[in-house]
Amino acid sequence: MNRTISIAVDTGGTFTDITLVDRETGILCKAKVPSTPDDPSVGFITGVRTILAQAGLTPDSISHFFHGTTVATNTILEMNGAACALLTTAGFRHVLEIGRHDIPRDGNIHSWVKPERPVPANRIYEIEGRLDFEGKQIAPLSEDTVRRAVADIRRRGIPVIAVSYLHAYVSAVHEQRTREIIAEEYPRALVSLSSDVLPVFREFERSMATLLNGYVMPKVSRYVTSLEERIAGEGADGRLLIMKSNGGVTGAGSIRRLPIHTALSGPAAGAVGASLIGRLTGENRLISFDVGGTSADICLIDGNIPTVTTEGSVGNWPLALPMVDIHTIGAGGGSIARVENGSLLVGPGSAGALPGPACYGHGGTDPTVTDAHVVLGHLPPRLLNGTMTLDVDAAARAIERAVARPLGIGLHEAARGILDIANNAMIGAIRVVSVERGYDPAEFVLAPFGGAGPLHGGFLTRLLGMKAAMVPPEAGVLSSLGLLWSDLKSDFSQTCILKTNSLDLSLLDKAFQSLDTQARNWLETEGVPDSDRDILWFVSMRYAHQGFELLVPWPVKEVSDATLTAAIGNFHSAHHQLYTFSQPEMPVELVLARATAVGRFAKPALRTLKITGAASDAITGSQQVYSNGDWLSCPVYDRDRLGAGATFSGPAIIEQLDATTYVLPGQRASVDCYGILCVSEES
Amino acid sequence: MSDSNTEATICRKSIVVPVTTEIIKGALRSAQAEMERLLQRTAMSPVIREKQDYFCGLFDRDGRLLIGTKLPILGNILAPVLERFPIADMRDGDVYWYNDPYLSEGGVSHTPDQVFVSPIFVDGALVGFTHSWAHFLDIGGTRSGSTTPDATEIFHEGILVPPVRLYREGVLNEDLFRTFARNSRFPDIVVGDVRAMIASVELGRRRMIEIFSRFGIGPAHLAFDILIDQTRNFARKRMREIFRSGTYKFAELIDTDGHGTGPIAIRMVMTAAQDRLVLDATGTDDQTRGPINFLMHPSAVQMIFGIHMISGHPEFMFNEGLLTLVDEVRLRKGSILQPCFPASLGQRSVTLARVMSACVGLINVAKPERPQASSSAYSANKLRGTWPVTHTPFLKTLAVAAGQGARHDSDGPDAIYFLSQQNYPVEFAEQNYPLIIRCYAINRDSGGPGRWRGGCGVIREFEMRSETASVSLRMSNVEWPAYGVEGGLCGRSGRFTLNPGRPDERILPSLQDGVILRTGDVLRIAMPGGGGVGHPFDREPEQVLRDVTAGFVSMESALEEYGVVIEPETETIDLVATLDHRSVKRWPTKLFHRRHYFDPRSWWDEADAATRNEALPSVT
Repeated sequence: MNRTISIAVDTGGTFTDITLVDRETGILCKAKVPSTPDDPSVGFITGVRTILAQAGLTPDSISHFFHGTTVATNTILEMNGAACALLTTAGFRHVLEIGRHDIPRDGNIHSWVKPERPVPANRIYEIEGRLDFEGKQIAPLSEDTVRRAVADIRRRGIPVIAVSYLHAYVSAVHEQRTREIIAEEYPRALVSLSSDVLPVFREFERSMATLLNGYVMPKVSRYVTSLEERIAGEGADGRLLIMKSNGGVTGAGSIRRLPIHTALSGPAAGAVGASLIGRLTGENRLISFDVGGTSADICLIDGNIPTVTTEGSVGNWPLALPMVDIHTIGAGGGSIARVENGSLLVGPGSAGALPGPACYGHGGTDPTVTDAHVVLGHLPPRLLNGTMTLDVDAAARAIERAVARPLGIGLHEAARGILDIANNAMIGAIRVVSVERGYDPAEFVLAPFGGAGPLHGGFLTRLLGMKAAMVPPEAGVLSSLGLLWSDLKSDFSQTCILKTNSLDLSLLDKAFQSLDTQARNWLETEGVPDSDRDILWFVSMRYAHQGFELLVPWPVKEVSDATLTAAIGNFHSAHHQLYTFSQPEMPVELVLARATAVGRFAKPALRTLKITGAASDAITGSQQVYSNGDWLSCPVYDRDRLGAGATFSGPAIIEQLDATTYVLPGQRASVDCYGILCVSEES
Repeated sequence: MSDSNTEATICRKSIVVPVTTEIIKGALRSAQAEMERLLQRTAMSPVIREKQDYFCGLFDRDGRLLIGTKLPILGNILAPVLERFPIADMRDGDVYWYNDPYLSEGGVSHTPDQVFVSPIFVDGALVGFTHSWAHFLDIGGTRSGSTTPDATEIFHEGILVPPVRLYREGVLNEDLFRTFARNSRFPDIVVGDVRAMIASVELGRRRMIEIFSRFGIGPAHLAFDILIDQTRNFARKRMREIFRSGTYKFAELIDTDGHGTGPIAIRMVMTAAQDRLVLDATGTDDQTRGPINFLMHPSAVQMIFGIHMISGHPEFMFNEGLLTLVDEVRLRKGSILQPCFPASLGQRSVTLARVMSACVGLINVAKPERPQASSSAYSANKLRGTWPVTHTPFLKTLAVAAGQGARHDSDGPDAIYFLSQQNYPVEFAEQNYPLIIRCYAINRDSGGPGRWRGGCGVIREFEMRSETASVSLRMSNVEWPAYGVEGGLCGRSGRFTLNPGRPDERILPSLQDGVILRTGDVLRIAMPGGGGVGHPFDREPEQVLRDVTAGFVSMESALEEYGVVIEPETETIDLVATLDHRSVKRWPTKLFHRRHYFDPRSWWDEADAATRNEALPSVT
């Protein structure tokens, strides 16, 4: 029987969100269980059991388990990965210590301290053997030095060996031979080769990616295996698919080999979830805005696809792999406000889940952004028919003590100030992904989600002049929903330098053929039927003399003068879009070829809402809100009782299980047939 | 229109001043970040895009700095433009430009640095200025790259651009631009760089206009005042905590001008009275024939102290508030800090680095309880040649990192060039230039030993693959290494070696142009390190062992200088032997160290003796 039911599990810091969908009927269930940071697979399987019980289904009815994980992210951020050794070309032992020999632009030369590398230099081994930039051998690989190094690594009990030799992006022969020797000398070692992980030039960034791949490998492998065992233990045989940083999913085998691809797994799922809003509403230019307790993740989505970068970073380290271009700032509901030297500052410190904001009544005394919302009336003191109550007085006391009195201003001005500063930080972050990339936010719709996103959406769209805020019905579990709408996706890249004085198209053709074969093989391994496959070609280009490349689509899968010309045309437009000017008379160089393989899943049908009576039927109470010095009476709506077509004016508060939306005075809200709440300025 | 005005009014009314100020601070910072990102990503010359030798900033309508650079290279950027072009004559869309160090009185301090300034108007009224600044690859002059240790007049260092108007109301002065580009050996790159610079000031202009329209001109300026006061009050308070009433003296030495003069002393005397700080540098030695003269705008020295005062406090803006920390800066015309036209200036970073070190020295003399050691200066070299087949010329900057001085609470960072400037990846260098890099590593033992170790410099060694190339060389701290403080030892010297380990091995001079490299020649650049802080015997033995196994410190140095006995076979510490050794061999210290210990008085005298050539340094 052809099974049509999938489960998605998105592991967050506090909660694990689970969604179940029947792709044929569109039946959707959602649930939340506490996360289990010591072993996230426990939370995973608890979530699976919970939702199966809720839906009344058995484990064997599930065809796929989709999963967004933070195991790799946390390993890197908390610096608790595996002990690794690195084999590097002789003469370059300090490649990681030297890095790019800079102090960051915002650092101070008198106080900046270099962050400790993930591997100390005493675990880095120099190997004789050298290639030049065209892959020609200058000195043969010294197998003796490899054997000696591996023997020493084995003696020291180091479980992982990363290998990154100079120019391995153009020829992998030395690295592959090294892998063979490791297999002979130390068969149990886990191996990470730079020619597998990131065959792209710039040795520091490539070495770091290769090393981090090894660094997270044991944990992620163990984790993936444990998930598979737990799934099997439930009597299920559905396939496990993991979200990668690039916004696509892949099978457990690929993840075991290249676990670093999950470095941004969780946030990528959120961005894919937000792109769903665009697909449903026809608004295909969105800025996704996911606000939790401690941080906000922001991503620009143009044409339904989250933008991808190869210049991202995780923690202190650059990570030059394709990743959804997510900008994260330390501003969330739990961000703490304080006064220092006469300045009001908000975040990045957070009250976290415990003690949490003062209004939660768990002993928190620092004022947070959530407390400011409570004092201003945006969050009703009794949420969800009294299932949760907020301590308004505690919030007021905290703001009075830590902000209002030190600044000599009133309580409500202080609360509004906290909110203004949090909003301003969020605006700055939205500008980074839009304006700094050449996009005007006025042409975009904001997609606020996460527990705290919908409280800020109305403020941000007004301040940025954006078209609207569209709040999905699953605002609290959108990331897990994103997993269900994702496709299988893998990128295969290769440095291929074509300068204007030596435009040898046969080189590019060879590169693309090789990449296309890799892409096809991967799709084969993942078991994607022909009809659901796509392989797209891209190239990175730059003007002669420039140092940064832009990735642009290669028009069709064929290398010719005509397709090159078309690609160059794409490059000029992309440059203009991003940097406000192009230089058509300047020669263009090609630096890298990429094939992106996509295996499409059938998209779930979505159930639509019934058109019901007036919006006023959904009003459950009213609440005083503070706006521009006045107190206004503000109705509170129950989101579940709002039918399609309902419209109403702000101020308004819309409650749901896992998020609260605030509509400002002067704004108007409407509900569409998918239950998406669209907030825009009253015309 | 009326709607959005109402909106703006509502926003203004509801926001209190401390909040507005904080929001404007964020907006200024993100405007600068955006401008710099645009410039870096679109510039053509590798000096800007890979090495990142550029900065952008914003000024208010009175020309006060709102957000500037953390590099104290610059003087007052705006004044030279305002002197030549009255504000009344400025229009929307104008862009002004200069690179003339003398006419700008040190606004820029060497000719490759180009400054572009644009006024900002709202409703016809001038409300502020935006600027971009970057180092161009080549603007003519005696040798490719424009700066050369050979230069003895500024005319050897490329075309001079006095303050001029490049754009009038958005219209380019084509003739001026063509003339400039014609003077470069790489005109395509110059044209691309200018485009990037203009796009960047234009972006800054738009961002400032947005700030004014969101908050109003009055409230925005009120916030500017507050931000400047916050920075000034904090930094001045810190200055006064360091410089209590009294007189503090410190002298720092520059190796050579490359034309037979050296060492050259920078002498600084800080006099702190009740409410007044005076920095007198008139005792500094005369200007030199070689191009290490640093035409220092007095604001540069304010910046140097300012960066130090707000270190560790990122909440303070880098603005006008830092430019008045010292009430008077006295310089002497004809000295190396105030050379007379047309002295050459191209290698002024050599002197700038020692000026920074001298300012840190004054702080050490005045407040030894928070010691900080001296940093070695980076090495900037140029490789010039022609491609084997096409015979077209190439020019590669070889920028090599040194070690930073240790601080009172941390080691000096290893392998740092300077703030925010990045290296050329080895793979990038080999793809783009006819050379093979044989080694890029930490220069072991170059960091000055101490309780806190000075940062190590690097070694970069390459082999020439083109027929014949010539290289210009510049390295500092070869004769006079970076000092250590409070018992910490000085950093080790660096050196250039041609064909190391071969029969034709040769030590090369540290400041010279025209050194010929032939196919197969190898140049080894071994960089100096920073000074240490505190007695090296006080460093945890485990940390010394870590440094040994990671290749930062040798076994010999571990024993001799750190007093740590390491069992070589097992790489373990013999703790008993270590404690024993340390108690028997511990030596007494004084405040400063450079090969020997000095108290502040004898340090000052030593510089006098050195410049009278009474005490020649022993070369190690």
